[in-house]
Amino acid sequence: MPDKILIVEDDPDMVTALRMPLEANGYEVYVAASGQEGLQKVKEINPDLIILDVMMETTTAGFQLSLQLRSPDPKSEYAPYRHIPILILTAIHTTTSLRFGPDEAYLPVDDFVDKPIDPEVLLSKVRTLIEKSRAQK
Amino acid sequence: MRVSEEDVLDLLTAAAMTISVADAAAVLLLGEADRLVLSARRGLPDDFPPGEIPLDREALSGRPVGASAADRPDVPFPTGFSFLLCVPLTVAAHPLGVLRVYRQASPPFSPADAERLLALAAVGAAALQAAQGVAELERIEAAKSRFIHVVTHELRSPIAVAQSLVRSVVRGYAGSLTETQKDLFARISARLDFLERLVNDLLDLAASRAPELAEEECAVALNSSVGRAVLLLMPRAEEKGVNLVARPYSEELAVWGTEEGLDRIFVNLIENGIKYTPPGGTVTVTMGRDGDEVWVRVSDTGIGIPPEAMPHLFEEFYRAPNARALNAVGTGLGLTIVKELVERYRGRIEVKSQVGEGTTFIVTFPAAGPPTCGF
Repeated sequence: MPDKILIVEDDPDMVTALRMPLEANGYEVYVAASGQEGLQKVKEINPDLIILDVMMETTTAGFQLSLQLRSPDPKSEYAPYRHIPILILTAIHTTTSLRFGPDEAYLPVDDFVDKPIDPEVLLSKVRTLIEKSRAQK
Repeated sequence: MRVSEEDVLDLLTAAAMTISVADAAAVLLLGEADRLVLSARRGLPDDFPPGEIPLDREALSGRPVGASAADRPDVPFPTGFSFLLCVPLTVAAHPLGVLRVYRQASPPFSPADAERLLALAAVGAAALQAAQGVAELERIEAAKSRFIHVVTHELRSPIAVAQSLVRSVVRGYAGSLTETQKDLFARISARLDFLERLVNDLLDLAASRAPELAEEECAVALNSSVGRAVLLLMPRAEEKGVNLVARPYSEELAVWGTEEGLDRIFVNLIENGIKYTPPGGTVTVTMGRDGDEVWVRVSDTGIGIPPEAMPHLFEEFYRAPNARALNAVGTGLGLTIVKELVERYRGRIEVKSQVGEGTTFIVTFPAAGPPTCGF
């Protein structure tokens, strides 16, 4: 069965740019256009990986989704999905004063991909994260 | 030194009391609807009504006015005060407000007191106007920087999307391409790269001009900052066949600034060196200490800068004619950003160049104590 990837992104052109290399490599791609829709689809699909744009309609939408999914509350309705790896998309240039990194506590995510997307970098991170989460199960 | 309106008012009331041997002073400035608003007071009781009094309007018309509590029951005096002198604060016949001084006991204010206070008021009004002007300019500059920041963020997003799409197409994820199509997409991609770079530079420039966007400063380790820049650019130098020579300094030097800002200075200077040096040439980075200053020198054996280009080197979007002719990708903002950042960190930048032989940039900063970050 192919691995399922949920893309949470409100820009349809960016979705296309992400979808092309992923589908060409056999992933099954699902799309949510908002954080709210993303949470709903997580429950419906139970994806193997989530690709999340942190800069959607409101800058907090992406944050809220990842915070809710990673809520430490064991009674949270998203508790069964806490293990799903999250890859965030960010356009924040490393030389500006804002910096996101996988080791920093700004966001509970597993790795990030810089925009513009390099398809090879994207595929390699997707592969690594899914393998890692599988090994942890 | 940056002097605020508050500082000027503070100095003005203190000086007014001294030169007119007064016990209290107040400044009222013209505000909205031509109303006088109490803006500073010294030596007056808190309960003294701060508003306009009949003498103020006379003073605003351009001459000093005096009064005693005994003769002018229509003029409110604070308890215990007997004499009042009021002069206009005027710049080039344009009234800004009034300056009042009070005495508790005799003698009353003399015409000589009025002359002296009037002279002080003239100087004070000019200083006040300058301080207000600076504050206004700062507001405009900050608004401009915020605007650039928003605009560049809005620009960056569509560029990133377009570039992502093109990359997927070029790599064949949308089907195979003919050689001509590949070539055309490569050109589109190069243009998008340039546009992305330009927007990033503009954003950096806006950030370097808007203090509210900046990170807190610390004593940045120079060896590490230069090292990061060299590491980042080594592949580019190797690819071009330019020798990039740099070694850490024997001492742990530090500069007061932000890591990103200092990294950016060295990246831009070294990148320029590589860009304008032909294959086989050398870019050398050295650093050192000179008394209570530290310096970093980036020298190249490149095309050099023509003398006529020197005065414009740090202007926004300026590119020297021989740099343009080289067809190297550049936005003309790199050195503007370097200069702004160097000055922000209280440093200076010097450049020496000989066409056909090479260029040397030297940035000098006040030495900071032991590094507190980035080491």
